[in-house]
Amino acid sequence: MVGTKPAKWLPFFLIGSTLLFFYLPILIMIVFSFNGSRSLTNWAGFSTQWYTQLFNSRDMMAAVMTTVSIALISTLVSTFVGTITAIGLSKSNKVIKETVLMISNLPILNPEIVTAIGLMLLFSAFAIRRGFATMLLAHIAFSIPYVILTILPKLRTLDPNIAEAAMDLGATPWQALVKVIVPQITPGIVAGALIAFTMSFDDFVISYFVTGNGVKNISILVYTMSKRINPTINALSTILVVIITIALVLVNVLPMLRKKERIAIE
Amino acid sequence: MKAFRSLVKPYLFWMAVFIVIPMLLIVLYAFTQQGNDVMTFTFTIDNFVKFFDPIFLKVLGKSLQIAFVTTLVSIILGYPVAYFVANTKEKTQTLLILLITIPMWINMLVRTYSWISILSDNGFLNAILKAMGLSPVSLMYTDFAVSLGMVYNFMPFMILSIYTVLAKMDKALIAASYDLGANRLQTFLRIVLPLSVPGIIAGITLVFLPAVSTFVIPKFLGGGNYMLIGNLIENQFITVGEWNFGSAISLIMAMVIMGSMLLTRRLDRNVEESDKGVNNGNGGVMYGRH
Amino acid sequence: MKKLLVLLMVLGLVLTGCSESEKETLKVYNWGEYIDETVITEFEEMYDVRVIYDLFESNEMMYTNLLGGESYDVIIPSDYMIERLIAEDRIQKLDFNKLPNYAGVMDNLKGLAFDPNEEYSAPYFWGNIGLVYNTETVSEEDLAAGWAILKNPTYKGRIYFYDSERDAFMVALKTLGFSANTTVASELEAAYNWLLDFDATMEPVYVTDDVIDNMIGGSKDIAVMYSGDATYVISENESLAYFVPEEGSNLWVDAMVIAKDAQNVDLAHKFIDFMLSKDVAYLNTAYVGYTSTVQEVFDEVTGAGGDYEGYDSYIPRTDNPLDEVFRYNENTKKILSDYWTLVKAQ
Repeated sequence: MVGTKPAKWLPFFLIGSTLLFFYLPILIMIVFSFNGSRSLTNWAGFSTQWYTQLFNSRDMMAAVMTTVSIALISTLVSTFVGTITAIGLSKSNKVIKETVLMISNLPILNPEIVTAIGLMLLFSAFAIRRGFATMLLAHIAFSIPYVILTILPKLRTLDPNIAEAAMDLGATPWQALVKVIVPQITPGIVAGALIAFTMSFDDFVISYFVTGNGVKNISILVYTMSKRINPTINALSTILVVIITIALVLVNVLPMLRKKERIAIE
Repeated sequence: MKAFRSLVKPYLFWMAVFIVIPMLLIVLYAFTQQGNDVMTFTFTIDNFVKFFDPIFLKVLGKSLQIAFVTTLVSIILGYPVAYFVANTKEKTQTLLILLITIPMWINMLVRTYSWISILSDNGFLNAILKAMGLSPVSLMYTDFAVSLGMVYNFMPFMILSIYTVLAKMDKALIAASYDLGANRLQTFLRIVLPLSVPGIIAGITLVFLPAVSTFVIPKFLGGGNYMLIGNLIENQFITVGEWNFGSAISLIMAMVIMGSMLLTRRLDRNVEESDKGVNNGNGGVMYGRH
Repeated sequence: MKKLLVLLMVLGLVLTGCSESEKETLKVYNWGEYIDETVITEFEEMYDVRVIYDLFESNEMMYTNLLGGESYDVIIPSDYMIERLIAEDRIQKLDFNKLPNYAGVMDNLKGLAFDPNEEYSAPYFWGNIGLVYNTETVSEEDLAAGWAILKNPTYKGRIYFYDSERDAFMVALKTLGFSANTTVASELEAAYNWLLDFDATMEPVYVTDDVIDNMIGGSKDIAVMYSGDATYVISENESLAYFVPEEGSNLWVDAMVIAKDAQNVDLAHKFIDFMLSKDVAYLNTAYVGYTSTVQEVFDEVTGAGGDYEGYDSYIPRTDNPLDEVFRYNENTKKILSDYWTLVKAQ
């Protein structure tokens, strides 16, 4: 305990109203995704018409496909590159390490819009047609720095002698990498991958500036559709909320269940 | 060991192309003028001079003002929440943190969009007010709406930053303080608060930076003429086509932000502590987005 | 592990590449809320092609995107922008042999100043700009002031203004008694100051397509809107009406053009001709509310029993000499653009 509670009701009230503040808009959005009419304020009976419209809309389904595929591919690439770079950095001398980190952290320190226009200028200057490929490259570009920053601290805690010992015993550097170092930092790699995936899935600003050829992700689609009242956005959002909630609950609950199993076994 | 060093090489090349060159291009565009679709390399500071019009400076001022208010509100409302959450039982803490985190993972556009239907003149809030017999309020397209949207989107980052530091605080220090005769308030002001400053600093970084540069929230909740610096930049690049002026504005904004960040860093004497605040654990790093 | 990674990457790449390589693709760039989307599907099925349909909010945004490297086949800009595209050689001449339905276009829309020899464009929709107002809260007397009603303190904070550079300046210039196409610096400056003052004193909200649902919902009392949107919102909310000030408005025409670097010129022509066909033109005008450019369709919907019978917003007036078609001017474009940025930034 950091300190005794001032008044009994204060914590409950404060935390409760904060949570209410956070969730009320989301709940309203969910409720009205089932509205029988197009209104976002007048309830006209329960209906799943907006969900039907969502799944029938070619644009929306295409946007979902784009978002998911870019998120998956960019996560894979950025996690891989981020991991090997972090490992390489942990073995490099201080000057190289600090310089690389300084440059690598620029997309993190810069406001998103600056990174976005930088990339847009890059593609324009080299006459690269904007579209799926440029969006993917941009996503990889902004994800790798985060992966590196997530894994680097984990590497600091490693015992450097183990990898060296493995190589003394005849392992090739690649084997030492894959079989000794990587297993030890797996939690960091997973965390990094998770961050990269979320960054990519939710991204708007950077995607908005570097896309073209009619390629849209979910965020861009919501942005363009928000001009008119469109309960299909509510439907899409509700599905996203449900998926995220389930995912987060699983991620947090499963370790606890496994802990209980282990305790039970012991 | 030396073998592993070369693993950095692929990324070195990548960085040069995708991080260094874009920044150089922004600087290049900022200091040049476009001459009829062909980029003529006439160096000029005209783009910067253009920005020093009272109207544009006011845009920058307003952005800083709203970002400051958002950050302040986030601290004032967020610190108590973080404090009380850190004081609950461990199981409750996990649950509460989970509840606070879930909205953060939802797309920012979706979260902001949901407020449009609430704050609209014929939206949810006014429908409730009318049902209660009260007169409707016109909240949409106001400073209040934009600030509300920003607080809604960014306060969770502040809460989590402060919570992380509070939760890891050495409880022995608190106990020692009581043993030496200090009361609750003294302990808080002299021990807890100072030690939690790195968390506040980290939170400020995570709230102020995106708040200054966002353009979606003002666009959705402020209307087409509500221009913050992010909107101005977006407008110059997407609609007007003045990439040179837009780049200059971006540089100015980046400088201002960097200046503010350095200022906040000075508040924290121990720089290493604040690094820990930004980089701690798994989740700490990801929050510097949107 | 490695195999799984490779498999996932290949899968990803395949997914992205597969849908695009099968059919011919047509890229269309149009205004938002400007088409009945079922006709796109109909076109796709008829010719077994894929249509990539992109949206823009203003002519300026369209132009900037074009310059930024995006390429399209069919674009649907407004009069003055078409004039600019022709002057800058960014669109190609149409092959009217491939556009049999062009014969059905209204005669008064052919050969206008922006495309005097009928070479580059095929009209899509036309109309003017006016004030949509709530008959219950806005008095007729106030309207008699014309565009100046926008500065009537009674309506402070209750006005929607369209976020469009040329249209904004047209309103200011007309109310000051100048031409919407003026090149006189002092007149433009006066209009700029009028807009600055308007922005500062009347607290307008600048909108584009979001004005439609907002006016239907009755959020504000007056909106500067295009005649087509006016028709639509009036059909959804009976207490609204449309008024075009006597001191003049514009007469605009949005027309289909084919970009110089279009990938699929032949298909582009088919699309244009498809849009000009009677059935498709009818579907579009019925859904969107904008005035059709096809004579037969126009006659049908404005005639007895037609969808828009009695809607005066549907038939743009052609008898006011102060109504102008926007012209493009190389010298004023930058001035206007800079002024407008300042007005919005205030």
